[in-house]
Amino acid sequence: MSAKISPNTKNSIDKDQLGHLTRQQLKELEEKKKTGWQKALDWMIMVLPFACGIVAMLEYWMVPNGGSNDNPYTYVGFLVVLIGAYLIYFIYSVVKKAGGDKAVLDMLRYRAPLLSALFLLLAGYDYLTLKTGILTQPFVPCMNAIINIAWIDRAYLITCTLHTLRLLFLGYFIGVFLGLVTGITCGYSERVRYWVNPVIKFLGPIPTSTWIPIVMVVATSLFKGAVFIIALGSWFAVTVASMTGISNVDKDFFDAARTLGASSRQLVFRVAIPHAMPSILQGCTQAMSSACVAIMIAEMMGVKAGLGWYMNWAKSWTAYDKMFAALFVICFIFTMVTKALDLIKRRVLRWQNGVVK
Amino acid sequence: MAEKQVSLVLENVSKSFAKVENDEVTHALNAIDLSLRSGEFVSLVGPSGCGKSTILRLVAGLIMPTTGKITVDGKEITEPSPERGMMFQKSTLFPWLTVEKNIAFSLKMQGKLKGNEEKVEHMLKVIGLESFRNDYPGQLSGGMAQRVALMRSLINEPDILLLDEPLGALDAFTRMNMQDEILKIWQEKGQLALMVTHDVDEAVYMGTRVIVMDSNPGRVVGDIKIAEGYPRDRSSNTFVEYRNEILNRLHFGGRN
Repeated sequence: MSAKISPNTKNSIDKDQLGHLTRQQLKELEEKKKTGWQKALDWMIMVLPFACGIVAMLEYWMVPNGGSNDNPYTYVGFLVVLIGAYLIYFIYSVVKKAGGDKAVLDMLRYRAPLLSALFLLLAGYDYLTLKTGILTQPFVPCMNAIINIAWIDRAYLITCTLHTLRLLFLGYFIGVFLGLVTGITCGYSERVRYWVNPVIKFLGPIPTSTWIPIVMVVATSLFKGAVFIIALGSWFAVTVASMTGISNVDKDFFDAARTLGASSRQLVFRVAIPHAMPSILQGCTQAMSSACVAIMIAEMMGVKAGLGWYMNWAKSWTAYDKMFAALFVICFIFTMVTKALDLIKRRVLRWQNGVVK
Repeated sequence: MAEKQVSLVLENVSKSFAKVENDEVTHALNAIDLSLRSGEFVSLVGPSGCGKSTILRLVAGLIMPTTGKITVDGKEITEPSPERGMMFQKSTLFPWLTVEKNIAFSLKMQGKLKGNEEKVEHMLKVIGLESFRNDYPGQLSGGMAQRVALMRSLINEPDILLLDEPLGALDAFTRMNMQDEILKIWQEKGQLALMVTHDVDEAVYMGTRVIVMDSNPGRVVGDIKIAEGYPRDRSSNTFVEYRNEILNRLHFGGRN
């Protein structure tokens, strides 16, 4: 039974069919029908990003430049890629809708205003930098220059990115792993908590960056030192979160599990940990943001590689375009990492969907 | 009748709890002697604080008696066992597991799931929730959740079924339906069922035997055999007489 049910066949749906409705069909049935005017407005909003993209393009070509601009076509290519990507998304959504799946197009409609704003932001930035110099060149370089330099220096940028990612993940995963071990044992065992709690209370309030000067003096290699600092911050966040999560497990769940024949080992791994998962993952997210802060500070202060170091190095050579290029790369990889973490979280915690908003 | 006949004996069982605020001790149960066997449906009824839930938790092996001993076929209870399945008043379904996995939980813990998948299937069919197998407990209604919880404890085919106010949180109609469902399951298998309730009607409607308890300290004040067949008529004269007798034992009787 995969017949498409449209709102106007509402009265002809028999009882049998109602039982086989999908969530999407149910939503469509119960939704108020949109008026023609509302529908037209929706479509207008969905083509708005194209219009804004063209505005950005026109602004770039029509308004005379305030200064020199090498390789002017790079930025045009960048805009074309962005508009093209939206076009593909748009066509895909419309095709999906024609096939009966409205959700993709709804999402596009939801995102369209933000994407339009992105194009306007690009146009505004270009106007303030390249066109008028209100943001002084070359201290705040225009987007065309940033993309150009990122492309020219790509090999080095990639090396630095990989270095940063390696340091970030090494420190993060060591910290998260140790944090899980301490947090879970502390949450479970009174005796371990007795010894570990004072350490957490004492070390916890100290910001990770405080350790950097000490580590620079003591550590045998700066890389290892940086790993230590990142791991320490992550360890702390995950330990506290998982400890709280485990000690908050409802005693009734343990009782139920015990009457069902769970061993004490299974009580930890099959009851306590799954129950504490929301809290643990919250801790992992916090650990990631603390790791991102720590790695940038570490790279800017001591470590002789990575994007943080690249930025600092570019600054000392007054290569401001490189500095901004690195900034965008940092922005991009941190966003991706956070997004990935979020996806994992949603996947693991899907049992909370519909229960917790 | 059940595959295995068991007898459950409580000998001079007392249980005291230390109070949290001060050095005093609460006497929850005082010198309880009971002897129960397979095929009985025993209702424990009494005011709150009479220790009826404590008896259940003792039999489950979740707590140990202060004095006296509890034996199943002469063997003393020292820890919880899937042979004594328990159903709680509050839904204790694991919210991170689907309906199907909740029911299969016990088999999985004991490493017996392989080769027993059809048991889980059967349990889902008994409560008619096959189409909800992949739903999470948070999406179920109260009645559905308690049905799943019942099946979860029954999958081990326990010799003793412990029901701790299993229907206490349900609405009146769901409650009456589930009383019949539980009775049907019990009649098929003939286990020893021990149910705590504060509803006298429910105790009489379901039990072959009603044990009346009073508090301060928790003790048995009546042990009444209900000699009626099933299904019972809640408004029949004998039913009302049984109810009044129980209420009298608890000093609530005003009539007759």
